[in-house]
Amino acid sequence: MKAFQQNLQKLEAADTQVLGVSMDSPFANKAFADSIGVTFPLLSDWGGDVTREYGVYVDQYKAARRINFLIGKDGRILEEQLDREAIDPTKIVDACERRKVNR
Amino acid sequence: MRRTFSHSTFRASLLTAAVVFSFLAGQAQAQGNKPEAPMKLKVGDVAPDFKLKYFDGSGLKDISLSDYRGKKNVVVAFYVFAFTGG
Repeated sequence: MKAFQQNLQKLEAADTQVLGVSMDSPFANKAFADSIGVTFPLLSDWGGDVTREYGVYVDQYKAARRINFLIGKDGRILEEQLDREAIDPTKIVDACERRKVNR
Repeated sequence: MRRTFSHSTFRASLLTAAVVFSFLAGQAQAQGNKPEAPMKLKVGDVAPDFKLKYFDGSGLKDISLSDYRGKKNVVVAFYVFAFTGG
């Protein structure tokens, strides 16, 4: 989440909203956001319905995989970053900036 | 003597093969358990809509993916737990 915060200006300039999602409570997520300086919303998928619908629930952890989706204005998935790769969002930031240039 | 030797060599190689095989099988199983599974949603798919809550400091607010349809791209970043790494 910190890495997205560091790139937030670039992403916002490229018409992109960042939303974090985990299965924590909204209050735990707010405390987490404050502690690491994240200003975008961290959404609470309490119970994991959305995590399962997106196919990123891991039984073993009883939690989500670390996965980034970039979703276009038409609602379609443009990019995915999985697990370790998802720690560094450069691929998504670049994709957003490319789309901005190509528009 | 020579015969005994080759017999035991044969047995040893069988044993080695068995050990290697069970090791490989174990590895394959371990990989199956790892979260490297193929993705249900692929690039180009329509992202399922959702409505989730967050706490903005004063109250609980709803956000839906569809709020941004036609307006903004959205990064949906799933993470394992609050207070763990990145």
